[in-house]
Amino acid sequence: MASIATERSSDFYASLQPAEIGRLRPMSESAWRSFLEAGIPAPKNEEYKYLSFREMVSKHFGAPTAFDCTESDLQNFGLADTDGPRLVFVNGRWNERLSHLDAEPGVIVQPFSLAPGFDFEDIGSLAKVGKNPFVDLNTAHLDDGAFVSVNGTAAQPIHLIFVCVGDGHSHPRVWIELAPGARAAVIESHAGAGASFVNSVSEIHLNQDSALEHIRIQTRSETVFDFGWTEVWQESGSDLRSTNTAFGGRLARTDLNVFLNGENCHCLMNGAYFAAGEQVIDNHTRLDHAKPNCNSFELYKGILAGRSTGVFNGKIFVHQDAQKTDAKQTNQALLLSKQATVNTKPQLEILADDVKCTHGATVGQLREDAMFYLRARGIPEKQAKAILVQAFVGEVFENVRCESVRESLQNMLMNKFERNASSIEEM
Amino acid sequence: MKLLEIERLEAKVEEKQILKGVTLGIGPGEVHAIMGPNGSGKSTLAQVLAGNDAYEVTGGSVRYLGNDLLEMDPEVRAAEGLFMAFQYPVEIPGVSNLYFLKAAVNAARKHRGEPELDAFDFSALAKEKAQALGLDAAMLQRSVNEGFSGGEKKRNEIFQMAVLQPKMCILDETDSGLDIDALRIVADGVNGLRSADRGFLVITHYQRLLNYIVPDFVHVMVEGKIVRSGGKELALELEAQGYSWVEAAQGSAR
Repeated sequence: MASIATERSSDFYASLQPAEIGRLRPMSESAWRSFLEAGIPAPKNEEYKYLSFREMVSKHFGAPTAFDCTESDLQNFGLADTDGPRLVFVNGRWNERLSHLDAEPGVIVQPFSLAPGFDFEDIGSLAKVGKNPFVDLNTAHLDDGAFVSVNGTAAQPIHLIFVCVGDGHSHPRVWIELAPGARAAVIESHAGAGASFVNSVSEIHLNQDSALEHIRIQTRSETVFDFGWTEVWQESGSDLRSTNTAFGGRLARTDLNVFLNGENCHCLMNGAYFAAGEQVIDNHTRLDHAKPNCNSFELYKGILAGRSTGVFNGKIFVHQDAQKTDAKQTNQALLLSKQATVNTKPQLEILADDVKCTHGATVGQLREDAMFYLRARGIPEKQAKAILVQAFVGEVFENVRCESVRESLQNMLMNKFERNASSIEEM
Repeated sequence: MKLLEIERLEAKVEEKQILKGVTLGIGPGEVHAIMGPNGSGKSTLAQVLAGNDAYEVTGGSVRYLGNDLLEMDPEVRAAEGLFMAFQYPVEIPGVSNLYFLKAAVNAARKHRGEPELDAFDFSALAKEKAQALGLDAAMLQRSVNEGFSGGEKKRNEIFQMAVLQPKMCILDETDSGLDIDALRIVADGVNGLRSADRGFLVITHYQRLLNYIVPDFVHVMVEGKIVRSGGKELALELEAQGYSWVEAAQGSAR
């Protein structure tokens, strides 16, 4: 305990302290206390087993000082192409100049501070204080955030952009709400550079028969510590199509928790990541089948090059009431180097007796027979590898409905491949 | 100049010597057939010529259009116009036939310093060639060989050959697993590609294929060596007498 107490008084913790605790929101003060109590997860913490926080806690992040960047900075961060409304946050603060708030009728895309119908009471109702230190820390810094509300059909994808520049820590917050029967696509882009610590939390409430495509794209530079927590609540007949992609980060961790709280829900959890160099990319998912007659399909694919580490942990809980659940989980990893490692853990807990649940995990390398076949047709070695890498991830990208985003994801994948082709060739 | 000049070629796989000195020359316009019993090294010869590094060349030389073939990477051999139709075509899920073949065609064009074909021109070319081989155009959108029947896979190999227009074609047991109708389609495809400047090396276990693709020369391979060469009538002789005939002759000669 003594060592923890010392750690809590370390620069790291001091540098994360909100300037005026509780001034912004009453909840923030208890969140900060809860964070201090729990602390950054210790090495033996089962939920963070494969992450080492040593490097991160040795840093002094401090509050960010810059809250602006140029349009060309944004372009250089390589964001997905979208038309339509976009909200841009720089180091956690809303940037009016870079944002386009014009939206179709029934669609509200605004910062918390301006959003009509926004209620601070909702925040924290899904991602609750006291359950996870990163959610606590985010809540301790709660001020502004991105608010999306859709009533009817949003034809244009809604783009939420969170960039980090320079050093410092920031804590983006998102609230997405779909009215009964509403349909929308929301893209969250997490990009930027610097030696930053970014810790975002998104809460998504899908009312009856609504349908959301949610795409999280993380392309931060490989110096950033990126944490992203997403909590989804699905009412009966609702449909979630989630795609979670990670290319960047020194250490990147996502938690996606979906609670199916009504019958006839569909949930697609789709994910792809590409780690290289010394990167650590960790994806945790949790799916609660709480009601009968829901189906879920989960597909995560990881590519690992260099000395990188990948983690996939997928929990599926089928509650006692959730009869006729149909759940399928697949997790695959492709190792492009002998020094790369992947840790994969499916966790199924089934309390209902009339269900169909399957899971499968594979770890493989580029197939030699396929490589030779491509090369024997004249395709150079590097291009042959690129083709097989694309083919491996293809299934995940095919599940993305937004066509322009699908193309952007392909480009991000190939850019990452190009940047690391030399280390891949060493194999 | 010969297209292909193989001199005393020796090769091994996993410490097992398979080719023990193969010598063979193929000129433009010629169709050579290699026949031989199972395990005689026919397919090893095809794999070595295509550049599969699972096989180690331990002696001899191969010149292709006057250049050292064994020094070239497999993709260079292909881009220079050497094509092997695989005995077991590989399935590649997630890569469409059209995308794959376009990449192959453009890699060769790039190698020759020619401009790449765009998707539109390429698609038109591919459809025309597919039709000639009785392949459904929908096949072009499917993943390479995935879920194809044995016959479809072999036809796909000949289709690729027709699109790539190689100078030197090696067919490794293209007839295996084909029924008579599929065999005829494949043979028609090959015959359609015969020309005065293109060479063929047809590897087969059975004489049957050679009724349809009539060779200029027939060679018999036994235990890693060519033990007999002759005209197309040699294939008929083999068919009548069986491989034991040449194996016995080979045995008594030792």
